[in-house]
Amino acid sequence: MSTITIDGQSVPFEDGETIYEVSRRLERDVPTLCYDDRLEAFGACRLCVVELEGARNPVASCTTMAADGMVVRTATEAIERHRKTLMDLVVSENPKGARIDPLRGLASQELAHLAVRYESDGSRFVGKQSGTSRPDDTNPMILRDYDNCISCYRCVRVCAEREGDYAISVANRGFETQITTEFAGLLEDSDCTFCGQCVQTCPTGALGDLRSMEAQDQPGEFEKTRSICPYCGVGCSVDILTKNEKIVGVQPAMDGPANLGALCVKGQFGWDWVDSDERLTQPLVRKDGKLVPASWEEAWERAAKGFKSVVEKHGRHAVYAVASGRAPHESAYSVQKFVRYGFGTNYVDNCSRA
Amino acid sequence: MSTDQDLVARWAVEPAPLLPLLHAFHNRDGYLSEAALRAVSEGLRIPLADLYGTVTFYHHFAREEGGHSRPRVCDGPICKLRGSDELMAELDGATPMPCAGRCDDPIPVLVENRYLAGRPGAKLRETPAPMPDDNPGELEECCFAGIREDGRATLMGYCSDGGYGALTRAVREGSPAGVIEVVEASGLAGRGGAGFPTGRKWRAVAEAPGGPKTIVCNADEGEPGCFKDRVLMDYDPHAVIEGMALAAFATGATRGFIYLRYEYPHTERILEDAILDARDAGLLGQRILGSDFSFELYVRRGAGAYICGEETSLLNSLEGKHPFPRNKPPYPVTHGFEDLPTVVNNVETLASVPPILAKGADWYRGLGLGDHAGTKIISLSGDVQRPGNYEVPIGLPLDTLLNDWAGGPLEGRTFQAVTMAGLSGGFLGKFDDVTLDEPCLRARGSFLGAGGIMVFDDRRDMVDLARQAMAFFAHESCGKCFPCRIGTQRLTERLAGEAGPADADEWKREVADIGTTMAAVSACGLGIAAPLITQSLLRDFPDAVDANLEARKS
Amino acid sequence: MSNPLVDMEKPDVIFCIGTNMTETHPVAATRLKTAIRNGATLICADPRKIPLARMADLHLPLRVGSDVALLGAMAHVIVRDGLTDEAFIAERTEGYDALVKHLETMTPEWAEGICGVPAADIERAAHLYAGAERGAIYYTLGITEHICGVDNVQSLSNLVLLTGNIGREGTGINPMRGQNNIQGAGDAGALPNNYPGFQPVTNPANQAKFAQAWGREVDLELGITKVRALEQCGESIFAMLICGENTVVSDPDRAHCEHALDALEHLVVIDMFLTETAERADVVFPAAGWGEVDGVFTNTERRVQRVRKAVEPPGSAKPDWEIIAGIARAMGLGDGFPYQSAKDVFNELCQLSTTYAGLDWDRIDKGEYHWPVPDREHPGTPILHLGEFPRGRGLFVTPGYRDPAETVSDDYPIWLTTGRRLAHYHTRTMTGRAKGPDWLVPEELLEVHPDDVQRLSLVDGGVALMKSPRGEVLIKVKATDQSPRGTVFCSFSFGDVRVNDLTGAGYDPITDTAELKVCPVSVEPAGARV
Repeated sequence: MSTITIDGQSVPFEDGETIYEVSRRLERDVPTLCYDDRLEAFGACRLCVVELEGARNPVASCTTMAADGMVVRTATEAIERHRKTLMDLVVSENPKGARIDPLRGLASQELAHLAVRYESDGSRFVGKQSGTSRPDDTNPMILRDYDNCISCYRCVRVCAEREGDYAISVANRGFETQITTEFAGLLEDSDCTFCGQCVQTCPTGALGDLRSMEAQDQPGEFEKTRSICPYCGVGCSVDILTKNEKIVGVQPAMDGPANLGALCVKGQFGWDWVDSDERLTQPLVRKDGKLVPASWEEAWERAAKGFKSVVEKHGRHAVYAVASGRAPHESAYSVQKFVRYGFGTNYVDNCSRA
Repeated sequence: MSTDQDLVARWAVEPAPLLPLLHAFHNRDGYLSEAALRAVSEGLRIPLADLYGTVTFYHHFAREEGGHSRPRVCDGPICKLRGSDELMAELDGATPMPCAGRCDDPIPVLVENRYLAGRPGAKLRETPAPMPDDNPGELEECCFAGIREDGRATLMGYCSDGGYGALTRAVREGSPAGVIEVVEASGLAGRGGAGFPTGRKWRAVAEAPGGPKTIVCNADEGEPGCFKDRVLMDYDPHAVIEGMALAAFATGATRGFIYLRYEYPHTERILEDAILDARDAGLLGQRILGSDFSFELYVRRGAGAYICGEETSLLNSLEGKHPFPRNKPPYPVTHGFEDLPTVVNNVETLASVPPILAKGADWYRGLGLGDHAGTKIISLSGDVQRPGNYEVPIGLPLDTLLNDWAGGPLEGRTFQAVTMAGLSGGFLGKFDDVTLDEPCLRARGSFLGAGGIMVFDDRRDMVDLARQAMAFFAHESCGKCFPCRIGTQRLTERLAGEAGPADADEWKREVADIGTTMAAVSACGLGIAAPLITQSLLRDFPDAVDANLEARKS
Repeated sequence: MSNPLVDMEKPDVIFCIGTNMTETHPVAATRLKTAIRNGATLICADPRKIPLARMADLHLPLRVGSDVALLGAMAHVIVRDGLTDEAFIAERTEGYDALVKHLETMTPEWAEGICGVPAADIERAAHLYAGAERGAIYYTLGITEHICGVDNVQSLSNLVLLTGNIGREGTGINPMRGQNNIQGAGDAGALPNNYPGFQPVTNPANQAKFAQAWGREVDLELGITKVRALEQCGESIFAMLICGENTVVSDPDRAHCEHALDALEHLVVIDMFLTETAERADVVFPAAGWGEVDGVFTNTERRVQRVRKAVEPPGSAKPDWEIIAGIARAMGLGDGFPYQSAKDVFNELCQLSTTYAGLDWDRIDKGEYHWPVPDREHPGTPILHLGEFPRGRGLFVTPGYRDPAETVSDDYPIWLTTGRRLAHYHTRTMTGRAKGPDWLVPEELLEVHPDDVQRLSLVDGGVALMKSPRGEVLIKVKATDQSPRGTVFCSFSFGDVRVNDLTGAGYDPITDTAELKVCPVSVEPAGARV
């Protein structure tokens, strides 16, 4: 069996595994900024370089396939020095990167964490900053704060490789590089579908979830609750973000079995109706032709009385129930049981015929 | 005038259609309009955002009306010394372009698709590039052996001196394996800079599964101070074509591209004519010389991007993709053009092949000095009596080239520095004992590369030359890998005094640290080589650095 | 779906018909795009030049409602040109000879005359699909919301059986379910013909099973569908419980629907909002919504997944099951609803269902199971019909082409077809209140081909009056070649453009699904009506 030696430990690997993947399996904490599990390895940030015996220079572990007999060291002094220099360079043009609110997006803290790990505070390699923010893009979903962009192109790659929308790309080159839509326009005029995948993979918060960011000034930390998106039948796994007992956002679950981290505009940005002041908060009963608030006991009694009187007048086949295709199983099960158990009929359906 | 639909229809069916289609619109409209990009996007099914991003990558595509006709004036290191700033000021609407490969007879100016030369106060003129002088050492040459003959660029002229004889013999009597054996035995190595053994590359492609296979001639001669490929293509185009056909025969390739830099528009016409003539003579195309061997050859013109000289960027560019370099491995020999086995060779490498096959591997090996095999064309320019292209035996003392062959420094001047590999090898301040071969130069922290040597005499400000060089690399950095994208910028700022520590020791530490990491971890040769500029400056010109830093304080 | 979502990256030929997947199931569509990026061929049959059509190698722009002709002709070509999977037909199907005879007259030329797709393209589509190593069909409501919805599905099924593109990875016939838990509502037994787990109510054994579990006996007779029930309102149906559905807006023929609900003596609605439907109720209960309840959803690939409560519902709103249990209690039926939690309800469902028999609340925590999971040892069923079909052999059926319930005429010369928009969901009860989606698509637009805009004297951006025999609406016009000439499109998502005032000419005789995809209309400038 083929084996590779990583930091003195000899391990078998599967065909097609990269050094980075094997290292991660061994819980070696190899840093990276341009890597996203779901994307083809890109090899841009060079933070994941490792020492490979026999190679003149360190190699990027994310783009180098493991091969039998390789001897790799992931954190030699020289490698760590290169990483420190790289981090100092990155932070030198993104000094704000260490102070980004985590509500901006799922990966938004990656740069900040590495800046702490490598003690990069922006004091070395001071100079010009790249990336021009787009405050003119006033869409209410995606913040385009490119002053914080580090040109890792995860946004461009996720848009192309995972979403298949190809709405954004890389304009210019070198230090003038800029994330762009066609003709440098607004997202709404591009092929962007506002799925928010770019936001969630951005490691610096240069792209931010503007809906969630509305809660960033509230005190306290947010919590996550794993659930399923309430819209179409794909069943995407999401984490519901809550802060102070309120839903403040949604992030895709990268391990969601149906979506593997993908979402669409509805799942990503279509949650803020939950807080609508049009929500019903108490039962209503019709009195004198008008729906007026009532207690639960009164509403239950009134509902029950209505059904009973119809059955008395017209028989048990005069009652019908429609279950929702939106509510959970427990709702539909209760509706059909209400009909079958209560009236002994099969006069029940769901809304799939609409 | 052709309609959008005509242009799209003309090119959509061709291989590697994006660049020629963009050029067709660029030439027709004088710029690339939004409507043109929309038509190209739809016609070639390239997402519009991708296409827009890719177009902005190239220096020469104008995106404003009339942009194509604005003069582009070379501001490479040598042209800068010869007054390119003044010339630019004299020409209406002129903009700078990186070194356009005429350092032996500056200053090149591009106006639309005309390649002119000028100097401050003089009229722009269309003159042919200088022909290499007869070999000053009276040594036997490989590439230049026939180039000075009249009519050499025509099919008849080339054939009259035995041209296409190697191809004819290979096709009629030889075998692919036989060709590879000779090339391997000759010791020919890549003349574009990387120096990979050519025979080994061909063998790898010949043995690689999958097809069709492709031969790419890298004619994107973008390295400042290099102008040798241009002279080969202008004066001996059939040698390059025959070399490519031989490579195709040896590897089983059926299609080929010459990826020509944007800045050589006249060369494109020469190559196209030569290809037509060769096709008509049955030397290219289907069933070459009546055999089963077929090879179609196309010219594709770049659009102004130094990085496209890097072979994987070049392949992405040909394929119509964003010209970032690819991650290697896999290498082009197995995953090249359209992810299929591909030979990428430099112009000089390919032009060396016909004489090698005609005269034999031993003959070629014997052209080098000592243990070194073969010859190398050096593009020599700058503060020297006789700049120009010289084909030298590998291992020739630099001193012989500079003083005996090229006439030494200008009257009353002394040499201060030379560059190696154009700019990529950095500066040498002490070079009395240098010989022109990789082992010697690598030991000195430099390399021969594509063979551009620029000479600077005692008048020149080394820190400013380094700044210009680093600004070039920053301008040409593709923006993919972090160390190069940020590093070239930070080094330029420090050399220019625009940013960085005031304290000299701290300044040097920053410059050295950036360079060390760039050289070690950059993703391609650009980022690895660029810091040789600063490393060699600190190494060979410490006094100049100290004086410069001191002067900033006042 | 016969195959799981992950399989969508695996076909080498994809046939999408009647699905605007990039807008209705965008995340599933990303999988198809991956397949295409990896070299798969896409055939898209849709009257409109939808995004999938633009991506496709072959677009078949058929006239609305002509699917049976197109699909029959494809089957004709597959048989005619010997592209069938003979071993599959011999081993796993029946009725082949009858089909061959039936297809004789369904030539591509004949179909071209009906559906407008060039015969050569029909042949090419047939060859591509039949030539696939792994051919997969995807469809949504564009196939089913017709008077011939069942015929359409059977025509697709014929293609599958002829070519053996089923029961393997990356193949299959895959309807994409439109709502998050529409699959689950059926699974849970909210159907007039089936108990939970699709156990027929007409089977006495099932009747006995539930009678034993619940202590109550249920009719052996089928119930009626919602469509019939609405027709019977005020005649034989006098009370209704509607849970989480805005029937008035989402169902066809709005006037009919409003009239039906108004004819009831008693209407109880459970909803999160005071919808147009709730406004007509006698009692309205405030429902706890998404993020506020624990529960279970089953997605389009039959994957059973947990939803979880993240926050308290607003005010005193409660989960549906609690509300219904309260009504039952007040009716003296409390013994049947002894639940303390959603978990209790779900576990009872699992105990009584055959498809969920191997599951319970704790086992679905990670969402790994695709039903059927008949017992505790069973790993779940990502791919259906691996060895055999539920009925044993796959049956070829022989649907003939029928015109839609209404066809274009002098009075109503334009085809209207309806559908969805990416940013909005159904009647916008949620997305209309979400800032992002509402900003993205703030109003409904009638998509009209630029030539038709001119021909009908309309103005791009101006308002048009659109009429059918059942009603009329005012709607803003958008000139776009996404619509073919002679066909217009809009969604039914916006309450102020009551497009379902117009639809509803007919229903599929078997499923009672309304023909929402075809409705002849007239379109004229609104003029003084604005």
